[in-house]
Amino acid sequence: MTNSRTSTVDLATRWLVLALLVVYTIYNVGPIFWLVLSSFKSRMDFFTMPPKLFFTPDLSGYQAVFGVGAAKDSASAVGVFDSLVNSIIVSVAGTSLAVFFGTLAGYVCSRFNFVGKGDFMFFVLSTRMLPPVAVLVFYHLMFARLGLADTRFGLVLVSIFANVGLATWIMKGFFDGVPREVEQIAIVNGYTRMYAFIKLVLPMVKGGIAATAGFCFIFAWNEFAFASILTTTQAKTLPVKISAASGATGIEWTQICAAGVVLIIPVLIFFYLIRKHLLMGMTFGVLGRR
Amino acid sequence: MTADPMLQLQGLRKSYGGKTALRGLDLTVNVNEIFALLGPTGAGKSSTLLASAGLVDLDAGRVRLAGRDVTDADPGSRDVAIVFEGFNLLPVLDVKDNIAFALRSPAFRETEDEIKLRVGRTAELLRISHLLDRDVDTLSGGERQRVAIARALVRRPVMFLLDEPLSALDLKLREGLRAELRQIHRQYSSTMLYATHDYHGAISIADRVGIIDGGVMQQAGTIDEIYRLPASVLVGKLIGSPSMAFFQATVEGGQVVVKGAEQRLPIEGFGTVTSSPGGVLLGVWPEDIEVGPAESVGASTGKIYAVDNRGFERAIQVETTGGSFRKVVPLSMPFMQGDACSFRIPEGAGFLFDAESGKRVSQAGEGGR
Repeated sequence: MTNSRTSTVDLATRWLVLALLVVYTIYNVGPIFWLVLSSFKSRMDFFTMPPKLFFTPDLSGYQAVFGVGAAKDSASAVGVFDSLVNSIIVSVAGTSLAVFFGTLAGYVCSRFNFVGKGDFMFFVLSTRMLPPVAVLVFYHLMFARLGLADTRFGLVLVSIFANVGLATWIMKGFFDGVPREVEQIAIVNGYTRMYAFIKLVLPMVKGGIAATAGFCFIFAWNEFAFASILTTTQAKTLPVKISAASGATGIEWTQICAAGVVLIIPVLIFFYLIRKHLLMGMTFGVLGRR
Repeated sequence: MTADPMLQLQGLRKSYGGKTALRGLDLTVNVNEIFALLGPTGAGKSSTLLASAGLVDLDAGRVRLAGRDVTDADPGSRDVAIVFEGFNLLPVLDVKDNIAFALRSPAFRETEDEIKLRVGRTAELLRISHLLDRDVDTLSGGERQRVAIARALVRRPVMFLLDEPLSALDLKLREGLRAELRQIHRQYSSTMLYATHDYHGAISIADRVGIIDGGVMQQAGTIDEIYRLPASVLVGKLIGSPSMAFFQATVEGGQVVVKGAEQRLPIEGFGTVTSSPGGVLLGVWPEDIEVGPAESVGASTGKIYAVDNRGFERAIQVETTGGSFRKVVPLSMPFMQGDACSFRIPEGAGFLFDAESGKRVSQAGEGGR
C-alpha cells in the first residue's frame, strides 16, 4: 500500500548506511594512506602545506630500511636495516619455538591427566595476564646479570615466554577438537601413539597450527615494551627503532614512515595466509574440527 | 562351550578423576559368540570395551583374551579390532587406505599385493567397492560405518569390539547393517562384543546378553534365561519392550497383596521366597498381564493414562495405585485415553523383588517362557 514511501525510507537508510561506512573507512584507512604516501616523500615535500598528493617519489626511506643504495652509508640510516633484521630473526625464531612447545604442551594438556593439570593450565594462562611493564625492571636486571641484555637471543627467549602460553591454550583447543578415537584406532591397529600424533593428529590440526603461528608472530612482531627496555644498540627491533629514529640531521620522518609500512606488510601477509583459519583460531577451535 | 572363553574380564575397576565408570565388572565372552552389552548411557559399556582393547589403564581387575592374561599387554599386541559409534575414519586417509590402515602397521604388516587383495575382497563383502577411492569426508553415515567395519574385518582379529556401531544411523540402515553383521559373523565365525543401549538391537544380534548398569554386570545370559529369571529390578527395567511392570506390594498371610488392587496372589506361585520381605516390588512382564474392560470379575482396576498408536497395534500406559505399566494390545481393544480398565496378573507370572535393594527374592521362574 505505502509501497513508494517504504522504498523511499529504504533508500534513505541505504544512503545513510553507505555514508557511515565511507566515514568509517576513511577513519581506518586514512592514516595508513597518509603513512604510505609520506613514506615516499622527500624531506621537503613532507612538511609542505597543504600536503601534496602528487610529487616525485623519494625512495630514500625504503633504501634506508632495506639497507640498499645511497642511504645505506649515510649517518642517519645506521641501524634501521639492522633493526629490521633483528625483528625478523626474533619474531620468526620466537614464533617457531613458541608454536613448537605450545603444540606439544597443548597436546599433553588435551589428552593426558596429570596431577595439578588445572593449576598448570592456569599458570600457563597467567603468564599472559601480567602487564609487561610490571616486571620490566626485573627482567632488565636479570638480563643484565645473565649477559642477555641487548642480544637477539635474549629477545627470542622473551618472545617464547610471552607466546608459549597463548600457543598452548589455542593448540589445546584444536587438539580437543580431534576425537580421541584417532589415537585409539591407531594404537589398537598396531601403531604407536607417536605415529598417531605425527601422522594423523598433526595433519588434522595444521590449520590450527597456522592460526596459532599467525597470532604468535603478530604479537612477537609488534612487541615493544620488552624490546625497548632490554636493548640498547645491537638488538633493537624495528618498532623500537622507529620510536627513536632520530639521526644526525634530526628526526628522519621519511624513514619512520617507510619503516612503518614495512612493519605493517608481514602482518597483512600473515593474516591473508591464515584468513581461512582465523575464525577457528579466535574461538580456540571450538567451532569445528576441520 | 567347554573351550576357554575368548574374553574374560574379572573385577574391572576404573574411575576417571572423581567419576567411577567400572565398579568390579565381570564378563565372559565365549568363542564365536556375539555378546551384547546392554545398558543405559554412562553404564560403563564404553569403558568395558576400551579396557578389553587395552586403551584405558585399569585401577584393578584382570583381562584374559584368547587364553592369555593381557591386563598389562600392549593394545597393539592384543589383536582386537574396534568400531566406535561416531568417529571411525581417519580424515587424512582415503577410503581404501583407511581399510588397509592396520595391514600397514608394524604389528600387522602385509605385503602390498596381499593388502590389495584383502581390501578388495572385504570391500566387496560390505558392498563399498565403488567407494574405495573416495575421501572419507564425502561418505554418508551408513557408508562410513561400513568402511569402519571393513577396516575391522580386513585384519581377521581374534575379537571385534563394537561400541554402539550403528546407533548414529537411522532405523532402516541400522536394521540392514545389523543383519549384515550377523551374516558376516556366520560366514567368518568371529567373536564379537557389541555394546548398545538399544534393547531391540541387542536381542536381534546377540547370542547372549549382558545387562550392565552402574559399572557392574547385573546379569548375563541368553535372552530366554534373563526373561525366565531376571536378577533385579534394574534388569527388568532394561529388558523388554515395553519393559517389566512393577507394582508396590506386601506379603500378608501367605498372599501377595498389590497396593490398591483387589487381586490377591498366593505366595506359592513364586516358589521359595528368601527372607521375609515386608515391602516388595512385584515385577511382571507386560505380555503376561491381562488387561480388559472395567469391572471385570477377579481383576483389579486401573486407568488408561496414554495410548500410543503403532499402526497394527497400540501401546497403552495403565495407571494403577501400585504403579503404572506399559503394554502392547491389539487394535481391536477399543481403549481411549482416560478410560477405566481392569488388569489381572495370572498366577505364577510374576517375580518378587526386594523393595530396597531391587534384588529378586522369589526363586521360581516363569515355566512357560
